[in-house]
Amino acid sequence: MRVLCCLDGTNGERVSRAVSALLGLEERTIAVLYVTDTGPREEMERHRERHLRPPHPPLPRREQMRRAEGMAAQEILEEGSRSLGGAEMLQRTGRPEQEIVQAALEWRADVVVICSRTETEGVPHLGPKSVGHVARFVLDHAPCPVLLVRPL
Amino acid sequence: MARREARARKGSGAGSGQEGKGLPAALILLPFFEVSYCFPRCLKFVSQPVKTVLITLITGLVLLGVMLRPWKLNEAVVALAGAGLLLVLGLITPQALLLTLVQDWNTFFFFLGMMGLSALAETAGFFDWLAAVTARLAGGSRRQLFLNTFLLGSLISMFLSNDATALILTPILYSLTTRLRLPVLPYLFACTFIADTASFLLPVSNPINIIVLSAFPLDLWTFLRFLFVPSLVAISINIGVFFWLYRGPLRGQFESKRLPPASASIPHQGYFRYTCIVLGLVAICYVIAAAVRVPLSFIAMAGALTLLFGAWYWKQNTLKETGKQISWSIFGFIAGMFILVQALENTGLIAQFGLLLLHLSGGTSEGAVLVGTVGTVAGTNLINNVPMAVVMTSSLHHLAHAPLAVQQGFIAATIFGCDLGPNVTTVGSLAPVLWLLILRRRGLEVSGLDYFKVGVMVTPLMLVAGAFTIWLLLQ
Repeated sequence: MRVLCCLDGTNGERVSRAVSALLGLEERTIAVLYVTDTGPREEMERHRERHLRPPHPPLPRREQMRRAEGMAAQEILEEGSRSLGGAEMLQRTGRPEQEIVQAALEWRADVVVICSRTETEGVPHLGPKSVGHVARFVLDHAPCPVLLVRPL
Repeated sequence: MARREARARKGSGAGSGQEGKGLPAALILLPFFEVSYCFPRCLKFVSQPVKTVLITLITGLVLLGVMLRPWKLNEAVVALAGAGLLLVLGLITPQALLLTLVQDWNTFFFFLGMMGLSALAETAGFFDWLAAVTARLAGGSRRQLFLNTFLLGSLISMFLSNDATALILTPILYSLTTRLRLPVLPYLFACTFIADTASFLLPVSNPINIIVLSAFPLDLWTFLRFLFVPSLVAISINIGVFFWLYRGPLRGQFESKRLPPASASIPHQGYFRYTCIVLGLVAICYVIAAAVRVPLSFIAMAGALTLLFGAWYWKQNTLKETGKQISWSIFGFIAGMFILVQALENTGLIAQFGLLLLHLSGGTSEGAVLVGTVGTVAGTNLINNVPMAVVMTSSLHHLAHAPLAVQQGFIAATIFGCDLGPNVTTVGSLAPVLWLLILRRRGLEVSGLDYFKVGVMVTPLMLVAGAFTIWLLLQ
């Protein structure tokens, strides 16, 4: 079984527990996926245009941002991989919901493990709307079964 | 006041029949316009109503172009094309055009000095250093870092304008929070919002203020009397609402050990110290110059040139490289807007708009604040705050006979609305928001709408409280 675990930098432990508890009996191949969200960058570009500037920041700033994104992604993936016994690491950049679905397709995942919402979305963890837009999109569009992990 | 009247009288061939009256500088340059001015003579006998219709049509198309930006055209191209068309059709004379641009020299030089100062301070690592120190001072607390972001953004906006906060500090904070593995959005929002919310603390806090104050020179005390307290009120609301909105993601700590040392952001110690000293002096000079009514562009330009000298001395930057960091298209956009509004002025439409504003305000200070704020906020979000500020400034010239409190109410409301208004849609123009809504309807998740929601939630509160405070201060 090929298990694709979606990490967001805050959910490594939750995902690891879920995989161990629910998918632990079978022979499995695990990959951890982290998507660098381009949404904030797009917002910055819109803001620059509002200030009548070209959308992209100067090259040194772009490189600084890319470096920070790369370092954070690498750390998150390494932590996830360690906690899941040396899982394969997949790193992508784009809209998380779309990239996860695409990665599941390309990696030929049998199951996608995703948390209901990230800590960063900052709304109550239980009750209506407890499934964030990324998880909701993945539930709707994933090419395979999805294991939705609720908060601990 | 004399300048205002002179400005209102400033003629063009379109309406006033004052062709040939202008600055000597304009007359000296007149031969250069002869070629383009050959064509207009064919419209010389066209009646005034037709000219008015043509000018209104061209201005309307330009504003629509700025709003929708077809084929991703630069706003400057759209504005200059409109201004060029007016000139070619003889709807504005070369003299009036030159006079308009020459009279607004303070705005152009302030923009240039401000962008130069920011670019050269960025080269010195000034903003990176400030952000790193701010993060260290947070002591690992997410909430404290959030508050520090607001305070740093306010400080930078106050002395180096909102552009510096929105365009330079925001990507730095993005990198910092990404590196610290913090939720990025709250800090990003804090930075972009506070850039505008803190942009009427001082006259130099927003170039829009300079556009308005070039036409209506208020002394520092009057500016502070009407706008400093409303600014503090708006900043407090901004911080309070944001802390409530992001109470979830702001819980907890971050690992300070991930922070890069502040010194790592300084490429050259000597130039960095020099930059800190120059910026400190520029801040002091800004306040003094505003108090004694010296044009603020002098200070901005002098500061930028002093920093450029330092950059050249320590081999940190060159004139050519600094020039590349400056957005020259802004000058084209502003120039185009000044010309278009001047042409409109000559049709008498701007005077009518000014009188309409006065009528709607009921001739009272509270009405002036209310109408001024609502009008500028609506215009700012429909097009952009630069054209809105130019239109309002031009129309306010026609309120010379109104009571002083009404005039001051309109001036304060124009600055307030044009500075804070863009936060409603957060992009300063309705068009991108409409696009986002269309995309969402087609089933795409659009992060931009989240930003719009935050703007709609927090900005009306700030506008109401700020406008109410201005009205209280006018009593």
